[in-house]
Amino acid sequence: MTHQEFDRHSPAGPNRRTVLKGAVSAAALGSTAGLGALTGPALAQDGLRAQISQIPGIGKGAPTDADWQKVGELCLGPTKANVQAGEFKGVELSFMGLNNQNLHNLLFRGFLKPWEAYTGAKISWIDLAQADYNPRLQQAIATGTVDFDVLEMGAPFEGDVCGKGLASEMPDWVKKQIDIEDYVDYLKPPVGTWNGKTYRVTIDGDCHNFNYRTDYFSDAGLAKAWKDAGNPGEWGVPKTWQQVQAVTKFLKGQKFKGQNAYGYLDAPKPWGGFGFYFLGSRATAYAKHPDDKAWLFDVDTMKPRINNPAWVRAIQDVIDALPSEPADQLNADPNTTGFQQFLAGIGAMIPWWGDIGQVAKASDTSVVGDVVGFDILPGSDDVYNAKTGKWDKLASGPNHAPNCAYLGWGIYVMARVNGDEKKHKAAWSAAAHIGGKDLSLWTVMYPSGFQVHRASHFKIDEWVAAGYDRKYITSYLNSQLGSYNHPNRAVEPRIPGIFQYYSIAEDELAKIFAGKSNAQTGADNIAAAWEKLTDQIGRDKQIALYKASLGV
Amino acid sequence: MQISAAVADGGHHKPAPRPNLARRKVAGRALVAIASLGGLFVLLVQILHTTGTIRAGFTDWRPILYAYLLWSIALGVGQVMIRGERGLRALFLLPAVLFTIAVVIFPTLFGFYIASLDWNLSSLEGPHFNGLDNLIALFNDTYYWNALGNMLFYTLAVLAEYAIAFGLALLLNTDIRARKFFRVVFLLPLMLSPVAVSWMIGKSLMEYRFGPAATLARSLGWDNPAFFAHPWIARGSIDAMDAWVSIPFIMIILLAGLQALPKEVLEAAKVDGANGWQSFWHVTFPIMLPVSITVLIIRIIFKLKLADIVINVTAGGPGGATDTVSSFIYRVYRDRSNVGYGTGLAIFYLLLIIVFLSVLLRLTSRRMQKVA
Repeated sequence: MTHQEFDRHSPAGPNRRTVLKGAVSAAALGSTAGLGALTGPALAQDGLRAQISQIPGIGKGAPTDADWQKVGELCLGPTKANVQAGEFKGVELSFMGLNNQNLHNLLFRGFLKPWEAYTGAKISWIDLAQADYNPRLQQAIATGTVDFDVLEMGAPFEGDVCGKGLASEMPDWVKKQIDIEDYVDYLKPPVGTWNGKTYRVTIDGDCHNFNYRTDYFSDAGLAKAWKDAGNPGEWGVPKTWQQVQAVTKFLKGQKFKGQNAYGYLDAPKPWGGFGFYFLGSRATAYAKHPDDKAWLFDVDTMKPRINNPAWVRAIQDVIDALPSEPADQLNADPNTTGFQQFLAGIGAMIPWWGDIGQVAKASDTSVVGDVVGFDILPGSDDVYNAKTGKWDKLASGPNHAPNCAYLGWGIYVMARVNGDEKKHKAAWSAAAHIGGKDLSLWTVMYPSGFQVHRASHFKIDEWVAAGYDRKYITSYLNSQLGSYNHPNRAVEPRIPGIFQYYSIAEDELAKIFAGKSNAQTGADNIAAAWEKLTDQIGRDKQIALYKASLGV
Repeated sequence: MQISAAVADGGHHKPAPRPNLARRKVAGRALVAIASLGGLFVLLVQILHTTGTIRAGFTDWRPILYAYLLWSIALGVGQVMIRGERGLRALFLLPAVLFTIAVVIFPTLFGFYIASLDWNLSSLEGPHFNGLDNLIALFNDTYYWNALGNMLFYTLAVLAEYAIAFGLALLLNTDIRARKFFRVVFLLPLMLSPVAVSWMIGKSLMEYRFGPAATLARSLGWDNPAFFAHPWIARGSIDAMDAWVSIPFIMIILLAGLQALPKEVLEAAKVDGANGWQSFWHVTFPIMLPVSITVLIIRIIFKLKLADIVINVTAGGPGGATDTVSSFIYRVYRDRSNVGYGTGLAIFYLLLIIVFLSVLLRLTSRRMQKVA
């Protein structure tokens, strides 16, 4: 299916282009309306945003600690408006977060150094690898040994933390300082809130998009071979999973630029639960029906859907595609597919979070920066209707259901600071500084582990001024915003223990992909284990939290 | 003759206890009793507080640790006060005993308690007693038995490691050039962390795309040198990495044994006309048997704990082919926060190891007696 056909099939509903146009128009309208009264500050802010987006400049090497400190220093304005110099002298805060790929906490240290110098507060750091994060957090919660004041955390854990009263409610002055209304719609409440109270400073927007190699799909030699092999339609970027499968099988045995050509790259190796998202990205188009908010469990009973025909089809797709992927693909986790394969020039298609788009262009480790394109995840010609038990073909064309996996990182302040007014204000000030509107522009432009999450991040001119290629960044931002605002997006449930479900599934999927059981049997095993886990955690409470997370 | 009479008395009667010594003994007993009662009282209060029976109590269990330390000090002082010189001698041993109780015996017993709980850290209702349910679940857990099956392979592989190590030890025991240099070089892998080995070898040298080992394999005619994509190749690759780290350990112990061999016996065999193989098989090997059995048992204990390389390189895959009991427990405990069941798996494994090693020691002991 071509781009034109895709657009023709979805003229009635919002698509990524109309949504992006709307967002840009709204942003333009907003800035015009305020022009009379705010010309001075607005210009100053624009100047600041332009200035920080040049540190160090796209294509000028990976940012360093000095760059992070410089950005932190330049973005101190909102802090200075709410906090006096030296106001937090004597306050010591403990900050727990990640150190993945030398990002996250390492950036926060740089951003917060000027904040510490200005406010007088001191921060001690608890750095965790991604795989250690969940157990460390769960142990702290379960044993009542929360030893941190500020926490970097993903929305899926809100049930564990906010639901147990361990987080501090966000004060109104913080909402104003970070301009909370600027968040994209899918990250607005209920995400970041619990029982109507706001807890989270959002610093990231997570959604799997589709990353593909433009040079593969514009190559005349491959196009000819595709035709010669008798494949239907034109050679081009797949728009459905059926096309992804066909392209992946076709590329097996082909040569491209003198090397073995590969199509889609699956990530079958377990990855501490996070690998399940990648099966999810294959499954949502089959499993997430536009008339049904649920796609992972039945709403009223928490009965797993992992063994329904939609999920089994996605699992079978992996089984069918693996023989056409690199010989050691069984030992590839998402880190391998993203950073050691795709960015190193192996494979033509992967789903991933927006990191790929950031790193492909702004990091020294990538060799594909000029030949990457982006889109929302592929759709499916038919979608499974869990209520009727039948496959539906939609009148609007293929069913798309972007996988809003993980819902992004946020900064949370723990309730243990509530008793100390000075510490409470200091903790929230630190969180607000990291999650500041201008500073966030820098984090989404450069390798940071964080992706676009505010309406103000979609001004393409700002990205072009920073050094991004207009075509490249337009494609990237379209894929992100098109996913966030898609009417049939598949939003992850924020229920306690969600990563336990994923981890159990990963073990069984590894067996299926290694040929130890078939897709249906393996999926039935996962479903049985999930039922047991739901009972162990508490079925009634899980059902209530699942409903709340879906907004039903 | 008053003096001689006094000397005669001294030979037949103990001197009457001095009043201050008796008082000291009483004070010592009182000190131990008060410290013990105090410690038990604090423990009881905290248990009642934790179970919700009373409101008074501590926010955490740290005061119980302090109480244990105070009780230990009181016990030590009390020993000296009660037993004098013998009490002082006991002080050499007492700290080690109390430390072992605190960090080995108590945690093991506590482990049995945790193993009897249904405790998932995400459960909103917290832990609750479920008797033998974890044990029953364990017997139906295919992942656990798959991992135990893999452990059988890894354990048997120790014999191959032993053979290689013996060969290297014999080599280093001969008069070869640069013997000292080779002894140091052969020991180097032992000094490396298994995690470093996982990354340097498993994820770099043996990497499918750019790894030198894969490149070499391709040049030798193996089209797709995927070391971790097929069950038996993956199992063998994992064991090869673990063996590479551990063979030097076996080798150095055997080398020490070889160097202690009485030269006369070997010379006598030579005089009797034994060739090299006969000399090794009928003289060296039997004499080295006690050292061999000791090192094999130690190595098997290490092998049964294999986890780090598996976790880092394959995560147990493909399809559980390289999974070990420890790496499986790690996933149950860490990724799934299933504390009760994870502890149950660990305790059961501990018991299996104890039984296995006891049987092994008994069998080898009989064998040794026969050889002797």
